[in-house]
Amino acid sequence: MKKPVCLTLALMLAVMALAACKAKVKEVPPPPQAQEQPRVQPAAPPPPPPPPSEEEIFKSKSLEQINREQPLKMIYFDYDKYFIREDAKPVLSANASWLNKFRSVRVLIEGHCDERGTEDYNLALGEKRAKSAYDYLLSLGIPAERLQIISYGKSQPFDPGHNEISWQRNRRAQFTIIAK
Amino acid sequence: MRKTLLIAGLFVCFGLPAAASAPRAQQEVVITIKDGMPMIPVALPEFTLRAQAPAVRDAAALIAQVLEADLKFSRVFQLLPKSYYGYIPALHPDKIVFKDWESIQAKYLLTGVVGEGDDGTVQAEVKLYDVKGERFMLGKRYELTPKSSVLRRAAHEFADEVLKAFGERPVFSTKIVFVSDRDGNDELYMMDYDGENQTRLTFNKVIDYMPAWSMDGQTIAYTSYRGGGADLYLFRFTEGRNAAVAATGTNFAPSFSPDGKKLAFCSTQDGNAEIYVAQSDGSGIRRLTFNKSIDTSPTWSPTGREIAFTSDRGGTPQIYAMDAEGSNVRRVSFGGTYHDQPAWSPAGDQIAYVSRVDQVFDIYVLNLRSSQIIKLTEGNARNESPAWSPDGRHLVFSSSLPGTNQIYGIDYDGAGLRRLTSLGNNKLPDWSAR
Repeated sequence: MKKPVCLTLALMLAVMALAACKAKVKEVPPPPQAQEQPRVQPAAPPPPPPPPSEEEIFKSKSLEQINREQPLKMIYFDYDKYFIREDAKPVLSANASWLNKFRSVRVLIEGHCDERGTEDYNLALGEKRAKSAYDYLLSLGIPAERLQIISYGKSQPFDPGHNEISWQRNRRAQFTIIAK
Repeated sequence: MRKTLLIAGLFVCFGLPAAASAPRAQQEVVITIKDGMPMIPVALPEFTLRAQAPAVRDAAALIAQVLEADLKFSRVFQLLPKSYYGYIPALHPDKIVFKDWESIQAKYLLTGVVGEGDDGTVQAEVKLYDVKGERFMLGKRYELTPKSSVLRRAAHEFADEVLKAFGERPVFSTKIVFVSDRDGNDELYMMDYDGENQTRLTFNKVIDYMPAWSMDGQTIAYTSYRGGGADLYLFRFTEGRNAAVAATGTNFAPSFSPDGKKLAFCSTQDGNAEIYVAQSDGSGIRRLTFNKSIDTSPTWSPTGREIAFTSDRGGTPQIYAMDAEGSNVRRVSFGGTYHDQPAWSPAGDQIAYVSRVDQVFDIYVLNLRSSQIIKLTEGNARNESPAWSPDGRHLVFSSSLPGTNQIYGIDYDGAGLRRLTSLGNNKLPDWSAR
């Protein structure tokens, strides 16, 4: 009965030797990573005169021209309401980043209403809408001294129509650049 | 003599069942009344001509026509049908047979004699007689340039004298100020109470807006955008100039107190639409409302002790009243979701206002004593900005009924609807007190 014991011992030794081998392999450090060599750029031809910067283009334009291009987009409101809608928030954020780019610009925020309200109440409501847009821009870091508000009530509709689409277009806050 | 009360067509329907649960129950009642009061029958036979010149004939016809229109408009007098005059001998202005006029049920008689005056003028002598008392009551002699505006003014003046003779408040020389875009942009205009003599008052390239008469008729307060913002100005007829009142924030909806000493208005000068009161020259501005919501459209009670206004402090625009110092605020309108532009009647017992129901705007009159509401206008339109005549028998308002915005007049009971403007868009009328 000694043979099987010897066999078992031999097997165990072999297994142990193998295990020792494995452990040794693990200790081998990874090969060093190949360093990428920076490539040498071929000499560029002399650059053409640099295109005017955004700043320079902006300065060359008149207030009228800038306003015509409407860099600041209108926002719209719900009927009888003056809170900033979800769809208006990205618009105001975009307006704020434009204002951050051109820090000398001052803006008049106009509040408008659709025709389905009385003259008196709409003038007050238009003011509330302008104020909402003003407050939102303040919260985005635009300084108060760059912003002014005014209400036109329903006296200056953007769309002369008398339907839902026109009314929605007219319930708006509009941004006019008054100084640059 | 007819002393019976003629009520032709009385339609009463009770709407708004929700009103019953409102804090103070009110019923909305639609009433159409014609000839609600017994009116005084007056005879106005054709004027006697002392000369046959066309200018004299035209002047006589125009004066008589304006007088007739004024008396018909008054709701105090009714004119005898012209056919009645055929039943009696023709009038001799120097020898009036009162029995004849009594026989055709005339209580009062108006006569006119028109002839040539000096230097191409027209001379008109108009007289009022008490038929039953067989006596002369009043008369006026006018020397007039034969221009329609001059002749009209004379006729209105005499009609006012007639009203005064009956203890009534004169209205025919009153004016209506309003806003029109007929010349391109919103400017102030003025017209006679009957829509004649429409003349322009302001000449700006910007919006002039929301005019309101002072009690003496010498000043109009209004909002103008000429200074960049919406500021309040005073237009003075005597001095021919404009003075700025409030220039911070948006300032609008001015209303002079009945004693003429104060001016209430709405302003956002402290950041929100609130009601303020200043001296009538704009000095000494004092804030009356302190509320995060919109407070606007102030209108004085005729005693000057209260101010009605619009506020959305309850969630929707409603009409409130407060003491003139700003205390004791109480809600006046109930049962709807949009009430604005209150106008306190000259007698103090009623408030006219605008109510929006399903996108239709109509003028209503609330009786403060009975809490009864009368709907004055009908039509699928925007009827807005009611303003009372000084005698409280009529109102003007703007309406989008004809497709454009126009100014209409209507009697206190919904009768006598008439259109006063047609050029461009016209809105925001206010009726002068004198």
